[in-house]
Amino acid sequence: MDILKITQPEALSQDVESDIEMSDNENEVTGNSLVTPGELVTDDPVWMKGHGTYFLDNKTYSSVAGSVSRVNRLLSVIPLRGRYQPETGDHVVGRITEVGPKRWKVDIGGKQDAVLMLGSVNLPGGVLRRKSESDELQMRNFLKEGDLLNAEVQSIFSNGSASLHTRSLKYGKLRNGIFLKVPSNLIIKSKNHSFDLPGNISIILGVNGYIWLYKTPSSGRKNNINASSNKAQASFDAKGGYNPGQGSVSITRLEEESSWEIYSDKNDPNITGSVRKNIASYYNIIKALSHGELGITEQRIIMGYEASLAYGNSGSLIEKEAMESICEDVLNSEKMRGDAS
Amino acid sequence: MGREIELSSNESNFIIEGFKSGVRLDGRKLDEIRQPVIRVLPDEYGYVEIEWGNSKLTVRVSAEVVKPFEDRPFEGIFTINTEISPMASPQFEQGRVSDDEILISRLIEKAIRRSNALDLEALCMVAGAKVWYIRADVNVLEFDGGIIDAASFGVMVALQHFRKPDVSIHGSDVIVHSLQEREPVPLSVLHVPICVTFSFFNPSDSEENIKGELNEEISIIDATEKEESLRDGSLVITINKNREIVQLSKNGGLPIDVFVLMDLSKKAYTIAESLSEKIKIFLQKEESERYKKLHLDLLEAGAAR
Amino acid sequence: MSRLELYSPEGLRVDGRRWNELRRFDCRINTHPQSADGSSYVEQGNTKVICMVSGPKEPSNKSQQNSSGAVIEFNVSIASFSTTNRKKRSKNEKRTIELNTTLERTFEQSIIRKLYPRTTISVNLHVLAQDGGLLAALTNASTLALIDAGISMYDYISGISAGLHDISPLLDLNTLEESGMSFLTIGVVGNSEKLSLLLLEDKIPLDNLEDLLAIAIAGSHRIRDLMDQEVRRHANLRASKLVK
Repeated sequence: MDILKITQPEALSQDVESDIEMSDNENEVTGNSLVTPGELVTDDPVWMKGHGTYFLDNKTYSSVAGSVSRVNRLLSVIPLRGRYQPETGDHVVGRITEVGPKRWKVDIGGKQDAVLMLGSVNLPGGVLRRKSESDELQMRNFLKEGDLLNAEVQSIFSNGSASLHTRSLKYGKLRNGIFLKVPSNLIIKSKNHSFDLPGNISIILGVNGYIWLYKTPSSGRKNNINASSNKAQASFDAKGGYNPGQGSVSITRLEEESSWEIYSDKNDPNITGSVRKNIASYYNIIKALSHGELGITEQRIIMGYEASLAYGNSGSLIEKEAMESICEDVLNSEKMRGDAS
Repeated sequence: MGREIELSSNESNFIIEGFKSGVRLDGRKLDEIRQPVIRVLPDEYGYVEIEWGNSKLTVRVSAEVVKPFEDRPFEGIFTINTEISPMASPQFEQGRVSDDEILISRLIEKAIRRSNALDLEALCMVAGAKVWYIRADVNVLEFDGGIIDAASFGVMVALQHFRKPDVSIHGSDVIVHSLQEREPVPLSVLHVPICVTFSFFNPSDSEENIKGELNEEISIIDATEKEESLRDGSLVITINKNREIVQLSKNGGLPIDVFVLMDLSKKAYTIAESLSEKIKIFLQKEESERYKKLHLDLLEAGAAR
Repeated sequence: MSRLELYSPEGLRVDGRRWNELRRFDCRINTHPQSADGSSYVEQGNTKVICMVSGPKEPSNKSQQNSSGAVIEFNVSIASFSTTNRKKRSKNEKRTIELNTTLERTFEQSIIRKLYPRTTISVNLHVLAQDGGLLAALTNASTLALIDAGISMYDYISGISAGLHDISPLLDLNTLEESGMSFLTIGVVGNSEKLSLLLLEDKIPLDNLEDLLAIAIAGSHRIRDLMDQEVRRHANLRASKLVK
């Protein structure tokens, strides 16, 4: 969302996601006024003081270098850079740093490590079972230090640190790919943060700037999930109301899915060379976008991928010229699409 | 860092509220120092005990003949060692030197050694071969704040009180005469730097301090241990009675308006004036007593004959 | 060295400056975007300093946690090739520790620490070349890097040194001048006249203090403006990049 404040709203709403909630408020952002620490932002007492400001009497001063945002009567200054600030509902990628009593500490690139409670994960044997003492003792068998996972921010504690949960099949331990990190302000928040990309690659664009690139899971499993949810859906539709007995099909399904397999440390043995190559080129494309400080979206990655096909070898993408030309290509093709629409 | 004394918020509020109305726990005014008590031994040179309120320390000055540094053949050597052991206060740890202790010893060093309070060239006997090595050891016995002020005061008293043995030089040979044989000679002290420590407190929020124009930050002179543990910043001014600022250190801490700082340095000057006067009077008195005693000794010796 | 004429009767200094002129002040921020949360590079004349800020982050040591605000750590490392005579400096030299503590205590008051409880902000400074005004350059580099890291601060802190030659104050000394006269270093908060840092190590007459402080404050306001320009330049650059 940080990006939005410093971008021209018209241009953005044209070609990037149209479902950004903030876009309504964009009109209220008056100009791109830039302030630096200690600068007087306003001496009008009507404003409420938000992040990035401090005040004395009626005068509000900026405490960071960034752009002023005025939303309704809330005045805040959004820093140009800074660590990721978690918000409830964010889809993030994180790394376990510590296994503690009934909780994991997860590095999500924020100011403090996030907490993942034992009670907020799916454990083998079904979601609905109680967490027992034996679960507590074998926490390291589920997730141990260094493991990567994707999760959702469940809530924010009063001291600013986040609590995560992985109570959905799309969250959990990460396998079959590589991790990369970009500044969190380059990630534009949207409804969905996991995408399938051309070349049999999937990506999780964590809101915190942590990204996971991996081989698209085999379709068989995917269909299974779809099928099961369809079944549930079918039962739902047929009766014209929710029937717990019928719906339990999906829960049984879920139970099977959340067997020990979801915490397995084994990668898929059939990752082909071409998949690996594709992962590498996506990796370098994202690095290039981050080098050019472009907001990273699914579309831009795909456009970058198309542009990168001109280079024979994904390794050649790390050249500075190559990175810059990819950024240019992305911007150009974006413009063309913008004109076309 | 060792265990610092911890004050409850109520206690600290009480102390700071006191400052606002100009009262301190020990009844002093905000700009009043604790009057030091100096003690020396009647038949020893260069051993001084300073009682600075509840802070107590000893300074021992000693001399030794050594070879000078290669790059400074005409200068004697002078070092100051500051020892703060857990005996002084549990906040100092044995074996580990905290940042505060380093700051204290750096400051004393700057105030006295760097400012050439002691004439090093006068310590030279044979250039490049034999010079006096003067060493001042400060031992803090009891800590209740104001260590910098007390220690530098103590060192200056001790240096002026000290007498080094007289020597006679024949070519490159040096004979050091014992104290009985010849009257020992005083060190050549060029000026008397006095350290004054100001502690700053912020009675309102940081916002007021940074942007406000009230300048209502409180500054007190010569804080005690409790006051030091509460302070938001400090300034040590070292000044001598010739109106020379020897050293200023405000190592960060609460930002203070420059005009306030100018005022403080003027205040420091009056304190330095009175303290140097005090040293002078004390040493004169001490010397005259010593002479009287010496005189009596001689008379007694004469009478016995 | 003292035989050298540091300030000619015509009012020129060894490097041709007038009494109230700063040396070339060149600064850049966000020099190491990949390896630190905030970074800066400052050249004050021939004094060159790199600064990297990482944090606010989870403290590496549990005992360092402070639930009322961030713990700020400074670490100054002075390269052995930074002066003309190469000298190996240990990290625990008293002077270095004094620098660290001084910077820590200066920025503790400037950073809005209460916003970052239970975290550590570590500032790593590397001195590449020394030619006078070391503490001032370190202060400026830290300010810029902290701003780059997006850490909330009340205001800029800008540092400058000023010396006294006879009775004329000189601004922003180089090594040659520093070795020939008494000088002080100050750190000023924003555009105010409040000093968060004031260090003087050699004798000056009490009556000249005011003049010296006045010129130093004027100099540091100028430095603040130069730093502000760079921050704005960089911010505009970023903003323009992010458009589209």
